[in-house]
Order: sequence, then structure tokens, then C-alpha cells
Amino acid sequence: MRVEVDHNLCEGNGRCVEVASRVFELRDDDRSYVLIQNPPQALRAEIQLAAKLCPRQAIRLIED
Amino acid sequence: MAALTLETLDIINPDLYVQRGYPHEEWALLRKEAPVFRYQRPGVEPFWAITKHADIVTVSRQPELFRSSQLLFISQEEPGSPLPDEAILRQLLNMNPPEHGAYRQVVNRRFTPRAVQQLKNQIETITTEVLDDLVGREECDFVTEVSAKLPLAVIAEMFGIPRADWAMMFRLSNAMIGPADPEYGGSETITENLERARLEFFQYFNQLCEDRRKSPRDDLASALANGSVNGEPLPPFELLSYFALLIIAGNETTRNATTGGLHALISHPDQWERLKRDPSLVSKAVEEIVRWTSPVIQFTRIATADTVLHGQQLRQGDVLALFYPSAGRDEEVFEHSAAFDLGRYPNPHIAFGIGEHYCLGANLARLELRAMFRQLAQRMESVELAGPAQRMRSSFVGGIKHMPIRYRIRA
Ligand code: HEM
Ligand code: SF4
Repeated sequence: MRVEVDHNLCEGNGRCVEVASRVFELRDDDRSYVLIQNPPQALRAEIQLAAKLCPRQAIRLIED
Repeated sequence: MAALTLETLDIINPDLYVQRGYPHEEWALLRKEAPVFRYQRPGVEPFWAITKHADIVTVSRQPELFRSSQLLFISQEEPGSPLPDEAILRQLLNMNPPEHGAYRQVVNRRFTPRAVQQLKNQIETITTEVLDDLVGREECDFVTEVSAKLPLAVIAEMFGIPRADWAMMFRLSNAMIGPADPEYGGSETITENLERARLEFFQYFNQLCEDRRKSPRDDLASALANGSVNGEPLPPFELLSYFALLIIAGNETTRNATTGGLHALISHPDQWERLKRDPSLVSKAVEEIVRWTSPVIQFTRIATADTVLHGQQLRQGDVLALFYPSAGRDEEVFEHSAAFDLGRYPNPHIAFGIGEHYCLGANLARLELRAMFRQLAQRMESVELAGPAQRMRSSFVGGIKHMPIRYRIRA
């Protein structure tokens, strides 16, 4: 499983960080960055939640 | 009371919101039996009532298929003529892609977590000042003396409006957002109220913009006055509409979350004690308060093509109303959805909306509510209702208009 944030869509409102702070981080350019490119299965649920709640649909979960 | 049926239930009449509060039983019945429900009643333009969390997400995420429009919310016909077209604000809530995104970019960077975090100290200070005013007394109206003050002060501070003008802003924004409520609107018709408030509003901000063009500062007013959309400055009407939007959208909503939050804590003493024992719970507590109070009752969308939603055939031009408080109680999303639980996690409520129009001020509102409830938990030694809470007459932005409390507060 891989996670990506589309920086053309992300507007930095931080919903993803709220629900998955181990995976996403907001940086000074007000964009969300992925901290673990290939996260372990244990984080799947919170990543899915982040992807679901991201208002801009900027988070993509790519299955290997 | 007669048994609830789909044929007779009412979720629009503003008087019912005064008498009984949010129609949670009605919404529960709709979620169960008719989640996409054709609502047809005398005095109300027919529309589809959307009450499930998943359906509201689906609709909100397709801004091309379900467009926002000048019809922001469903209301019942009231005396007074409808607004003339040219009087309707041109602002984010009734814009659509690609224009909407371009306009949102003008101020988005001032509302990100990083940007609002810089306001944290000011927000804490304003909150402290507001609560300091309660010291030395035992009773007050929590709405006018506490919850109404913070959101307005914070947005005024962000704009760069001088303190002397804050009281006037409060009055105008009330007149503009709650015109159906006789207390806020005075005795004239809705239209007259709105037009008078709007005129005063515009005159004031026109002046402010002129000033900020001559001498720009690091404030929100300067960002707007000197902002551009596709390389052009914002046209005058759009510019003034933006100011109005930012004041109106953050004012009554956050106020009602604050009042409703304290009301919920008073009626759930175990949760109040829990927060007092452990103020680090405040972030989760605020999410639960926003889910529980869900101050925005509905926004609408218009279908741009025939489409099927949750098994119902919609036609091009059909109006949909998204009932956010209902999504917040959706049994399929929230365990014990009718329980007020400050530790609830995860809490995927959508009381701030989702998608293209996701609340611009969500991070700001969260910061304000956290400051308020942290300080309340630390300073309020006791609090109880000193009389019945009076609800607002609105099926758009809902909540409590007056709430007398008896309290003991630390200086
Ligand atoms: C608890 C408080 C608040 C609640 C419950 C709330 C709720 C909402 C909701 C549900 C929407 C979505 C509208 C839609 O999808 O059509 C929205 C949009 C918006 N809110 Fe808030 N809001 C709150 C506080 C604030 C604050 C403090 C501001 C600050 C200025 C603000 C500014 C806005 C703006 C500008 C929009 C329009 C965004 C757009 O159309 O792109 N709100 N809000
Ligand atoms: S939730 Fe989406 S839009 Fe918001 S910061 Fe995260 S990726 Fe960006």
C-alpha cells in the first residue's frame, strides 16, 4: 500500500493530520506531506479515514 | 403527540425549532425509512431531504453534478417579498468551480492551521477578557455575554477592525443572518431588514478597503482589498460580499456551538466533570460539541442532470437539502450516536461540511472553541441553568438565543 497527496488539490486544512498524525504532516507551505510512503497495515484504517474526510479528495491510497 | 409519519413530519417550519429544538426524531425516521426523501408541503418549494452521512458526502463531493446556488437553504414562505436578484451576495457559498476555487484562494492561506495558530494568543486573551467580565456576579445570559462575543471579536481582529466598531458589527451581522427571528430583525419585513443592514455593512467596508489600498497592513482586510482573481482585483460587489460572508459565516455558527456546548455539559454533569478533571481532553471534546450541536442545519444543492441517489431518481433542476445534524447522528457512522461522549474517537462528523465548500473557518472555529472550553473547565467552579434556554427561530442556522446561567467563576 502506498499513500500520496496531490499537492494541486491539497489546500492544507489539516483534516488528514487530525485523524492520522503518524502518516501526514502539514509543512510551512500549507501542504500535507506523507511521512511514511509505504505504511504498515496497522495504519490502514486511519489512512482510509483521512482519505474519506479530506475535503479536497487530495489523498490517494494505491494498493500494491 | 400524534405518531410521527413520513407524510406529516415537518423539518422546515422555524416555529417548530423554537418549540422543540432540532427534529432529531424526524431525521432518525427519515434516515431509516426514506434517506432521500421528496419533501412536499404547502408553503415550501418541493425538495429532496438528504439525511444520511454517506449521501451528504457523495453529493458534496460532486460540485459539478450538484451545484451550489443562490438558494442557500430551504425556508418556508414568510410575509414580505423575496429578495431582488441584484441584492443577493456573490460569495463562496453560491459560487461553483472553477470560479469558486479562484475566489477561495484569495484568503485560504489565512485560514490554514498554521495561519490560525498564530492567532492563538489573541484568541486566548479575548477569551480571558470575556470570562473576566463575569467575575463578581452570579448570573448572566451566557449567549449575549459570552458566546456571542468571541467569534465576532476574533474575525474583527483578523480583519483589522478597530475595537470601537465591534458592537456595530455584531448588530449588523445579526440583522443579516437571522432576519426571520423577530428579535433580531425588528418589526419590519424580512426584505427591509436585510436591505438596511446590507447598506450599512457595505458603506463601512468600502471605507475600510479604501484605507487598506492606500496603506496595506498584515490583516485580512488588506488581503481582500488588494487581492486578485485570475489576475484582476475583486469587483466591488464581490469584494464586499466576501467581507459579509466571513463575518456572517463564523459568527452565529461558532456562537451556537459555544452555547450548545455548555448546555450539553450542564445536562451531562458526568461529561462536565470529566473535562474539568482532564482539560487535555479539550480537542476531542470540541469535536464532539460540534457534532452534537451541529449549528448549520442545512445547505442546498441543485442537480445539474438526471441522476440516481441512494435508489431515488432525481431530475435535472431538483433541489437537495443536506441536513448536517442528521449526518452527525447517523447510526451507521457513529456508535451510540445519541450519546454525548467527550472522548469520542474517531469522530468523522461533517458538521463543517465536506468537499468543495468545506468550511473555510473550521480551523479557526476549533481554536476558538478549544480556548473557550479549556478556560471554562478551568475557571467555572459550578454552573447551572438559571431559567429555560430560548431557542432561535430558524431552520438554517440553529441553536440557543438566550441562556440564563447561575455560576461561580474563579477570578
Ligand atoms: C462551529 C462553527 C462553524 C460551523 C458548524 C460551520 C459550518 C459550515 C458548513 C457546514 C459549511 C459548508 C457549506 C456547504 O457545503 O455549502 C461552511 C462553509 C463556510 N464557512 Fe463555516 N462553520 C463554522 C464556523 C466558521 C467560521 C469561524 C468561519 C470564519 C470565517 C466560517 C466560514 C465559512 C465560509 C467562508 C464557508 C464557505 C466555504 C465555501 O463555500 O467554499 N465558518 N461552514
Ligand atoms: S485533508 Fe486533504 S486538503 Fe486537507 S491538508 Fe490533508 S490532504 Fe490537504
